[in-house]
Amino acid sequence: MQNVVAFIEHKHGAIRRSSLEAATQARTLADQLGGKAHAVVAGPGAQQAAETLKKYPLDQIHVSEEDRFIDGAVDAVEAVAKGAGSALVLVGNTMIGRDVGSRFAARVDCGINADVTDFKVEGGEVSCVMPKLGGLVITTCKLTGSGFGVAAIRPNVFAAKETSGAGEIVQIPSSGKASTVTVEDEVEEAAAELGVEEASVVVSGGRGMGGPEPFTTILKDLADAFGGAVGASRAAVDAGWIPHGHQVGQTGKTISPQLYIAVGISGAIQHKVGMRTSETIIAINKDGSAPIAEFADLLVAGDAFAIVPELTKLVRDAKAVHA
Amino acid sequence: MTPASGKEIVRKALAMGADDAVMLSDDAVGGSDLWGTAVALAATIKAQSPDLVITGTQSTDAISGDLPGMLAEKLGIPGLTYARKLEVDGGRVRVERETETGYMRVSAPLPALVSVTKSANEPRYPSLKGIMGAKKKEIKQLAAADVGLTVAVGTDGAKAQLTDLATPPARAKGQVIQAPDAAEGARAIVQFLKERKFL
Repeated sequence: MQNVVAFIEHKHGAIRRSSLEAATQARTLADQLGGKAHAVVAGPGAQQAAETLKKYPLDQIHVSEEDRFIDGAVDAVEAVAKGAGSALVLVGNTMIGRDVGSRFAARVDCGINADVTDFKVEGGEVSCVMPKLGGLVITTCKLTGSGFGVAAIRPNVFAAKETSGAGEIVQIPSSGKASTVTVEDEVEEAAAELGVEEASVVVSGGRGMGGPEPFTTILKDLADAFGGAVGASRAAVDAGWIPHGHQVGQTGKTISPQLYIAVGISGAIQHKVGMRTSETIIAINKDGSAPIAEFADLLVAGDAFAIVPELTKLVRDAKAVHA
Repeated sequence: MTPASGKEIVRKALAMGADDAVMLSDDAVGGSDLWGTAVALAATIKAQSPDLVITGTQSTDAISGDLPGMLAEKLGIPGLTYARKLEVDGGRVRVERETETGYMRVSAPLPALVSVTKSANEPRYPSLKGIMGAKKKEIKQLAAADVGLTVAVGTDGAKAQLTDLATPPARAKGQVIQAPDAAEGARAIVQFLKERKFL
């Protein structure tokens, strides 16, 4: 493997942060492999996204405006990877990123590593470091073969850095294919800018929240004060208080934010495996001896419904001083 | 796809309502990576000529979430992933696909593959009748050759090869502060956030 191709996920031209992390990491890996760093951006708004990508250290930015959902993105990645000869394809470990990376890997019969948190490059070969079993073990897997490989990088682990490097924009020729999947419409249920996977601060609520309301009020306010996202434990999702997309843990998302604030969450293993690699963990819980005390950096035992609004106020004040 | 020891899991699926069960069980597929798993499962599934393939989203150990997409590709059929709701109507399957901020309504003609999230339903409990019936049902055990698997999968064929396994350092137990006074609790958190340069 010599070149690196970053798949860029975007919405009408607005690029997801994990994709900017992929673009930046593509450069680092391409330099280590002695190859070129490419980006692939597909779908309506791709041209606009490509302009943003000019601020990232890429050699070429390949654009396809074809509107064929996942199919169009996979075809575009395939065309660019094959054009490069040999390539490691980087995707964000997000719903769309996984769909594109997995389909590409199956199509070209190459290895795929999921939820990658580090890379090792040696003698032109790429190994990926991945926490598995909910972070209980750290595995290293080498992508074999000289042709292609896929790595789905965990959001929030790799840095996204703007540079002066202006990549050349290249149009991908139209495939003329029809999409196998029809997108009928899209419904927004929450106005969240960032999902829990990408937010650097996540404020999660659990069973202790007692109902849906805190998720759109006190927890949301605290998350907003940090510019973060609202997460939830399985208990809260199962109770129907918040959609599954917000769930952190075994049957939800595995995340590594810089700061994780768990409110009214006891810290069962199913939840722990989804957030134990957060950089800093703060818990607010009525029970100071809850399991989460064993792995939180700070647990404040008290009334979350009183502490959280007070904390939000203090955080806003502190941020205002710096602003 | 499981070693022979997985037979009871397959029987549970029968007890829950499956009419028929097929098991791919062969040392040659043991230790497969994602690619090998997709190739072996696709060959097994193809032999059943299904109209609709339904999978979960991710396993609870590897949590990769990559298999549904790989299977759809290997089967050469449309793949609708992250479905929280699904219906089949007039030769098409329609799903609500979860997104970060809501959902999308997407559809595809059959045959197709759908991966469901945990919001799709509550798994039913096997009924007594189901359990009794499952005991009588034959579970077809197939080997790699039975499904026409010709490429090397398993440990030897892995395209992502495990080279190291390590235990991460344990997270140290942190500080616990009792805060009967909410304002004091909030101040303690802010102090901590300042020490860690979050504020």
